[in-house]
Amino acid sequence: MKFDQFFALAKARGISESQIQIGKSKSIAMSLFHHEMDSYNISESQRIIACGIYNGKFGSCRTEKLDKTTFDFLINGIIDSASTSEKTEEASLFQGSEKYHKKNVYNPELAGVPVEKKIALLHEIENGLFAFDKRVSEVESVSYEEDESVSQFYNSFGLKLKQKSNYCIFSAGVCGKNGEEIKSAWDVFLGNDIAAFDVQDFVKRIGDKLLAKFGGVQCASGLYPTVLDNTVFSHLINYFVSSTSSDEVQRRSSFLIGKLHQKIASSKVTIEEKPLTKNVFFSYFDDEGVATTNKALVKRGVLENFLYNRETAKKDGVESTGNGQWEGDKIGVGYGNIVVKPSKKSFEDMIAPIKEGVYITEIEGLGTGMNAQSGDFSCQAQGFMIRDGKLAEPLNLITLSWNLLKMLDGVKDLDNRAKLMTNSINCPDVLVKTMSIGGK
Amino acid sequence: MISKSLAQKILNEALATGGDYAEIYLEENDSQTVVLENGQVETSGTHKSYGAGIRILNQLKSVYGYTSDLGAKSLLTLAHELAASYDGKANIVVNSIGKERVKILNPIPDPLTAVPTSEKVALLKECYAITSKVDPRIVRIQDMFINYHKTIEIFSAEGSVGKQYENSEERGRLVMVAIAADNGKIETAFAGPGRFAGWSWFKNTLDWKKKAQECGEKAIMMLNAKECPSGRYPVVIANGWGGVIFHEACGHSLEATATAKHLSVFSDSIGKQIANPIVSAFDDGTLPNEWGSNNIDSEGHVTQKNQLIKDGICVGFLVDKFNGRRLHMEANGVSRRQSYKYEPTSRMSNTYIAAGKDKPEDIIKDTPLGIYVTNFGGGSVNPTTGEFNFSASEAYIIRDGKVCEPVRGCTLIGSGKEVLMNIDRVADDVDLGQGMCGSASGSIPVNVGQPTIRIKEITVGGRGGKLE
Repeated sequence: MKFDQFFALAKARGISESQIQIGKSKSIAMSLFHHEMDSYNISESQRIIACGIYNGKFGSCRTEKLDKTTFDFLINGIIDSASTSEKTEEASLFQGSEKYHKKNVYNPELAGVPVEKKIALLHEIENGLFAFDKRVSEVESVSYEEDESVSQFYNSFGLKLKQKSNYCIFSAGVCGKNGEEIKSAWDVFLGNDIAAFDVQDFVKRIGDKLLAKFGGVQCASGLYPTVLDNTVFSHLINYFVSSTSSDEVQRRSSFLIGKLHQKIASSKVTIEEKPLTKNVFFSYFDDEGVATTNKALVKRGVLENFLYNRETAKKDGVESTGNGQWEGDKIGVGYGNIVVKPSKKSFEDMIAPIKEGVYITEIEGLGTGMNAQSGDFSCQAQGFMIRDGKLAEPLNLITLSWNLLKMLDGVKDLDNRAKLMTNSINCPDVLVKTMSIGGK
Repeated sequence: MISKSLAQKILNEALATGGDYAEIYLEENDSQTVVLENGQVETSGTHKSYGAGIRILNQLKSVYGYTSDLGAKSLLTLAHELAASYDGKANIVVNSIGKERVKILNPIPDPLTAVPTSEKVALLKECYAITSKVDPRIVRIQDMFINYHKTIEIFSAEGSVGKQYENSEERGRLVMVAIAADNGKIETAFAGPGRFAGWSWFKNTLDWKKKAQECGEKAIMMLNAKECPSGRYPVVIANGWGGVIFHEACGHSLEATATAKHLSVFSDSIGKQIANPIVSAFDDGTLPNEWGSNNIDSEGHVTQKNQLIKDGICVGFLVDKFNGRRLHMEANGVSRRQSYKYEPTSRMSNTYIAAGKDKPEDIIKDTPLGIYVTNFGGGSVNPTTGEFNFSASEAYIIRDGKVCEPVRGCTLIGSGKEVLMNIDRVADDVDLGQGMCGSASGSIPVNVGQPTIRIKEITVGGRGGKLE
């Protein structure tokens, strides 16, 4: 499509500045069940998001239908959207940053790996899981997904940006029976280099997780020193980072209002946003075309920065931090590649001083159990008791309830088991002084 | 969206390698979202989703693909690539396609897409005006109107005569969020009535004034709520949205997606007692103009009223075409998907526990100490283990048969098998509540529902210590 033509047509209709983003993606996905290919999916799709300034107001529109009517549809949509807006601030689009830190994160070899090899790996996973232990009663799913996407950004100032990326995900879930007791466990591998995927290790992780769950009990309700597995910690950190959005702060919906440059967490806590890290979440420009930068959000317990797009930065008299991200029909504030600084301590050393505590390995229901505005949360959990510095009996059907700020303030230690999660957060396990556990 | 002759070519291309069923699902979805932030229009945007999904079944195998390019070349290429997954010869050649009559169960006299944005804005401003007057401690109010009109065309074949279905969906949702802050505490309240309906229902039938008032009042009330206690207690769950407990604790585990592969705790439960005999439950996609209703499902089957539990006995599953093959059961109109980007599978529509004989006030009166949950944020379940969780967004302590102080941060957890047997009271006040359900085939609108019920004991999570 000729986008210069779009900008000219938009200008002729009174849209003074305009921007267009084209996203194209191609994917394949496959899964096995009982040693046979159970499902095979392929897809190819594209989408255009356009926005512009009409009578000083911002308007946007999006479509997946690309034909001769597309430009008119988008232009009409922008005009309708801007004409309805009652925002009083004068809106504008971005001309471009001085410098962009572009890196190549696309791995051309991924798509070149024959489909047969990918299917063979799925069989290897499934066979490995069935053979892992006689208590494995079913391999629920073994699947592979591969996605390749190209994101292009153009605006009427002549700014042109492009990023190509790809990734693959192996995932597997297993179900086990021990008498009447039924348990399940799963895991995922995310990356864009199949050579880095270790089937044996993957199978062992899932199998070990499953077997460790048998015999789970409820502990007595109460306050316990609590260790959060890195996966669990990453979910909670995700909510904390969303509260560093200047948009939430300015709308008085964040528990971090008035806390900038104050100590809000234990001095062991350092959290950074590193969008320029070379991995599958790498991004060198945001949805406004602003160059992204690495920055500290919390440094040794002190809240160092909020995340800004151009509009919220203008309100606070600062520069955008390159965190503009589409949120419905506006460019809100988003983030990616969050890193919680680990320590050098092993997991075993971290839990050694705990006389009686709880180790939480999985949580469910945080999506509805989290009050993102106050940071209070309550959700279903499972894990293990810790007795005399060692993991003891498994725990099942317990609840974990606390508050995000109290959790960060109560961080006593972190270990060295940092891992990049599928939610783009890289963090270690953590020991929190006390958290509320609901059980018997 | 495409001609019959092209559809016939695509179906034959899809069936060329031995597939026994092929289907083309085409969709054009026009939606609009208007958002007011503290009474002022923040955004208003129109969106078009457009594309097709092709599915080929061969006994117990399924291949699926989608594209947003509805050109003949693109669709034929997709069918060809999918068919390459099988290595047989064509057993079916489609010679003709007949158009099936789709009965309109959900008439829409006044489509939402035809309503000027200014009318939607005016309604939202009236909602804002009501909520904002509730209390000065309400610091942020969001009012939203979301609506979409989806045009769907399905071509399918499992013999020489293909079938064509045309359907459309028109749904709207009025969403209100109130955030109250005081003394460092921040609480949020939400209301989101939705319906497969036109504008007059939203404007004239829905009591939006009451919803807007209640939304503000709930946010303020929760500011004063104490932390919820933790432990195992009797819990009374109010009617309507409280039905999310049945949706999570049982509904998902009765979907063929889980039962067909024996991955559900209820896989072998047909004919067996899985709930207290006072419990009967249905999934009914035919309720006129309800949020989870439809004329036909994503495979072209007419929607049905399916009984799932009768007097505590499991009497049915929710069955889609593909999973029905493993179960040797007929599809019963429940195959659903978010959009063409998802392969359809068995999903709930309007799922509810049927009315019992009790009165809600008697259930409260007969509970000396427990928790009364009147609203949930939502929940989730692991169908394999049956373990579920829900977060209450509004709950109270029951003392001596009376509803007392509100509590916050309340989570209920348990296993489906246990909780269904533990329902010991069922009232006669069935109501429905609207939500979005996320699962294998994406996020879809569903109604959950129930009368007031009591669970004699369930694990309650909170930070408030023991209930005394």
